[in-house]
Amino acid sequence: MLFVQIVNGLMEGVMLFMVASGLTLIFGVSRIVNFAHGSFFMLGAFLTYQFAPHILPGTMLGFVLTVIMAGMLTAFVGACFEVIVLRRIYHAEELLQLIVTVGMVMIMRDVVRVVWGMNDLATAIPDAMSGAVNVDSYWFPIYNLGVMGIGLLVVVVLWAVVRFTRVGVLLRAATDDRGMVALLGINQAYIFTGVFASGSLLAGIAGGLAAPLGSINFLLDTTVITGAFLVVVIGGLGSLSGAFAAALAIGVLKAVGVLYFPRAAMVTAFVIMAIVLIVRSFKARG
Amino acid sequence: MNILVRHPVVAGALAFVASASILVLANDVWLMRLTELLIWILFAASLNFLISFSGMVSFGHAAYFGLGCYGFALSAKAGVPIIVAVMIGPLVATFAAAIYGALCVRLNKIYFAMLTLACAEITYSVIHQWYDLTGGDTGLTQFAPPSLDLGARGFALLVLACCAGGLLVIRLVLNAPLGLVIRSVGENPGRAAALGFSQRQVQWVAFVIAGSLAGVAGTLYSAFQGNAFPDYAGMRFSLAPLVMVILGGLGSFFGPVIGAIVEKGLTGVLSHYVVFWELIMGVVVITVTVYSPHGFWGLIKRVINKGAPRG
Repeated sequence: MLFVQIVNGLMEGVMLFMVASGLTLIFGVSRIVNFAHGSFFMLGAFLTYQFAPHILPGTMLGFVLTVIMAGMLTAFVGACFEVIVLRRIYHAEELLQLIVTVGMVMIMRDVVRVVWGMNDLATAIPDAMSGAVNVDSYWFPIYNLGVMGIGLLVVVVLWAVVRFTRVGVLLRAATDDRGMVALLGINQAYIFTGVFASGSLLAGIAGGLAAPLGSINFLLDTTVITGAFLVVVIGGLGSLSGAFAAALAIGVLKAVGVLYFPRAAMVTAFVIMAIVLIVRSFKARG
Repeated sequence: MNILVRHPVVAGALAFVASASILVLANDVWLMRLTELLIWILFAASLNFLISFSGMVSFGHAAYFGLGCYGFALSAKAGVPIIVAVMIGPLVATFAAAIYGALCVRLNKIYFAMLTLACAEITYSVIHQWYDLTGGDTGLTQFAPPSLDLGARGFALLVLACCAGGLLVIRLVLNAPLGLVIRSVGENPGRAAALGFSQRQVQWVAFVIAGSLAGVAGTLYSAFQGNAFPDYAGMRFSLAPLVMVILGGLGSFFGPVIGAIVEKGLTGVLSHYVVFWELIMGVVVITVTVYSPHGFWGLIKRVINKGAPRG
């Protein structure tokens, strides 16, 4: 049982990382704490629900295309939000930036409610990925393993992009010192919009992949954003590798914690976050 | 108009008398709406005290609101006399603010905000999961007589008195030497430290004051609604006063009053006519934040100042 829960936890961790990576990327570069990140996840899930029956239903290829399309559309919405609204307030106080994203949460929640209604929706796991494999007399759903694989692929791609490409260099430079990057003659606006769109893309894809796993409803935004905040803060704001470690740890902790302290799992995660922050406050003072 | 701007005490006294007479004259429906509005004003004002004057942005102010609710509800349910129970609510909130605050004020800016969020989520989860004590999701009901046996009008006047009292406390604190220290730490911690003030201590005091006022609001809310739900300590209740503070205008004393009126008024009117009222609220929030960082109170002040002679 423990083994099963650890695997489940790792899978949830990978999902958590996909959401949190976008959040931490956006914070790292633009210093914006994006409350609307969970809303983008939710949008991805609903769009997947919408497209799935129309694009080669039931097949693996169809599902992958569906999720990619949902992710791209989410990225487009994110880019529009960045260009129309966020760009005007980069110079303003952090609090104002945050409130703007809260406004976006309200808008997206209502859009979802008006378009898809208040009921829980569900989308089926594609036939090609249904079923389960037997490992050591335990059954694991193929879909969950597939999601874990896709998630790990995303992690590797993300890492490679950040580590080896010119875009990655710019990204790291911008996280480190925005002003310096601007002085080098690089158009900051492109970086900011690009990062926000990529973050939204990651959230949208994560939402799409998570869609067949549970019910899709308009409350997803807050549940997802609290989890993502946990990961990002524990991993260190703006740090991708930190977020990865934190996501896996929290995923496993939650899944295993459910076995032993079913009621305390959620509290434990936040207590860890609080401890990390408090320890940090002692460190900072030397 | 000028005298009102120059002498906020006169303005405040007038507003109090006016509100009291409105409450005396209002019909039942409006009485309910206004009572709720007054509670929100107090809640938003307590958060504004933290944000605008102490330089601390809390994402978890609902923790103290929710603990005010549950402190009152649980003690009333346990058979404590109502008059004592209404004291226990704010006390529990103050106690929690003292503990959480001691930890939170060690951090700055975004990390402070994140720790307040974590504290609130811990509080929410404990209330949510401690089924035997709090009833979890089903919440608590029927622990106190409706409107505390004061009648709807009497209760509304009590709420008005508490709200006005809360605002007065904030005003007095701000104008006292303590308030000057709090404001100076809020504006420039480095300089305040150079003057010999401990940033952490000052911020802690401000945090506890704000927390206890939120606890008062929570207790009143719980008595008003006749229930207590974990949601009252949740994220939605942390963000709502934040939106009010922003709509009203950062950095002003009356901002949260205006903000709460605008938010509650708009929500009330919009939800009556359209399905997607939250979308419109979102657009309003974004527009105000981007184009008028000083909120509606800033707009009002600009209008008044145009009319008044300079000097």
